[in-house]
Amino acid sequence: MSSLHKASSVWARIEIVSATGFAGAITALILLNVVTRAFDRSIYWVDEAAIYAMAWMTFLAASSSVHYGHSVAVSLLLDFASGRMARVITRCADACVFIFAVAMVIFCWRWYRPDALIAAGFDLEAFQGQTFNFIYAEPTTLGIQKAWIWLVMWAFSFGVLFHSAANLSLAFRPDSAKEPEQ
Amino acid sequence: MTPLVFCLLLFGTVPIAVVLALSAIVYIAESGNIILFDSFAQQMFSGLENYGLLAIPLFMLTGELMNEGGITEKLIRAARVFVGGFRGGLAWINIVANMFMAAIIGSAVSQIAIMSRAMVPAMAEEGYDPGFAAATTAAGGLLAPVIPPSMLFIIYGVLAQIPIGSMFLAGIIPGILLFLGFAAVITVLGLISPFPRNEWMSARESVRALVESLPAALIPASIISAILFGVATPTESAAIASVIAFFLGMFVYRHLKLSDIGRVFLRTAQNSALVIFMIATANVFGWVIIYEAIPQKLATLITSITADPFVFLLIVNGVLLFVGMLIDGIAAIILVTPILLPIAMGSYGISPFQFGVVISINLILGLLTPPVGVGLYIASAMSDVKPVQIFKALWPFLLASLIVLLILSRFPVLSTGLI
Repeated sequence: MSSLHKASSVWARIEIVSATGFAGAITALILLNVVTRAFDRSIYWVDEAAIYAMAWMTFLAASSSVHYGHSVAVSLLLDFASGRMARVITRCADACVFIFAVAMVIFCWRWYRPDALIAAGFDLEAFQGQTFNFIYAEPTTLGIQKAWIWLVMWAFSFGVLFHSAANLSLAFRPDSAKEPEQ
Repeated sequence: MTPLVFCLLLFGTVPIAVVLALSAIVYIAESGNIILFDSFAQQMFSGLENYGLLAIPLFMLTGELMNEGGITEKLIRAARVFVGGFRGGLAWINIVANMFMAAIIGSAVSQIAIMSRAMVPAMAEEGYDPGFAAATTAAGGLLAPVIPPSMLFIIYGVLAQIPIGSMFLAGIIPGILLFLGFAAVITVLGLISPFPRNEWMSARESVRALVESLPAALIPASIISAILFGVATPTESAAIASVIAFFLGMFVYRHLKLSDIGRVFLRTAQNSALVIFMIATANVFGWVIIYEAIPQKLATLITSITADPFVFLLIVNGVLLFVGMLIDGIAAIILVTPILLPIAMGSYGISPFQFGVVISINLILGLLTPPVGVGLYIASAMSDVKPVQIFKALWPFLLASLIVLLILSRFPVLSTGLI
């Protein structure tokens, strides 16, 4: 196992443990909703918090699944391919995931525009005036800006980039086939 | 270019969620409308901002808790009370227990895995052909996505923007029909080549088996009654069901340990993320469908062939049976619902509930048909019976499912009657 793959393994573990925590949070929040509603004391932010917990759970677990090799895919071609051809197909699929990850990092950059924010001296009004980008002005019922919640897209994009790079690196070690974990 | 990339990636073993996202990226780049890249990540995130989707992890959690909680054994014993004494008793028990399980577990794949382990060795031991035993179990698994709660119905309900509770109600009669279809298959097969004879349980054993299984019945009862009487949303009823499952597993059946909980939540996060992530990327793929006006173009083509809703459903069934053979049912429903539902509703006046039931049953048949047939391979792996041997015994069940599908396509009231 290369050091890159080892690091990917550690990061995937962190991601899936965090996602597990969010799965617990979803259950707790919805149960809180049921109880408070039964007593006519609904808490207005619970639904939104549960939805964000689900989004964080999904994107973190989706990123870790790139490392663990859990995915829904049409494996028809792979089933009929010989050992060598199957490895080529798998690496091509890994390359596609890597390209997707690179694109996602670029999209997150275009969305958050950290360069323009720094150039505006973190003055949000100036940033919005220059870019017509209102990402930092979007509110939530949780009392924090939505830009904080959306940060999971960065975590997801970099996570997928990292794991797919680690998977691709295995292509240069023909003697080591990727071993599924867990 | 986009259709070519889509097909290449789809059949190139690339995860379907990534196929959807990359196809959307290629489409945007090709169309020159690159301003959409600025909101690409946001569009993916917003695909998840739907309260109904919360039901997916919660129902998965309930299923996982029940698996760990030792419910399967109790349900099989309860099924034995009702049908155990018939000739071919174990085949009947298999189907009836599958129906009970379907009311708790929303996923066919999970159900096939659990029931194959529990039923196939027992049936083979009593002299049933192992292929038939595995085929009966695999077919029984098809009840899971139809009898509420159903993962497929939740996803369809979210995509179609219809109440998930009503979608659950729409599945009750079709689920019973499917069960009756499978029961008819077992009866006919039993007449052709007699199954082993079994004995009825004694009155004392029967009462004990029913009492033991009664707490488990709380789960489907709480889900359905909470939705029916408007006490809770499907999402909330799923959370309540998971609490009941937890208490039953911990304190009644005592199979569940506190140390299992972390693993249960981990599997819930892993499995539900697979599904929900596809919905997120389907949201960006939706741009391709909208900008290319695919439903409108397809509607023009299909309405020039027929104006009859039933014929339309027959065409859809034919196409989807093929799609279901190649693509996983959940992925397929995410792909086809935004394209076909507007045509079904707008051009043919078909109820979204009937349409949802028909395409869901259609697409889950793909679980048991090669070459993709995940359910077939799981049944094979869990029962040590070759997929070919299972498939040989499976075709009467598939035929019965097709007949039910045709009946549901012809008579909308069977899907909409309880809503």
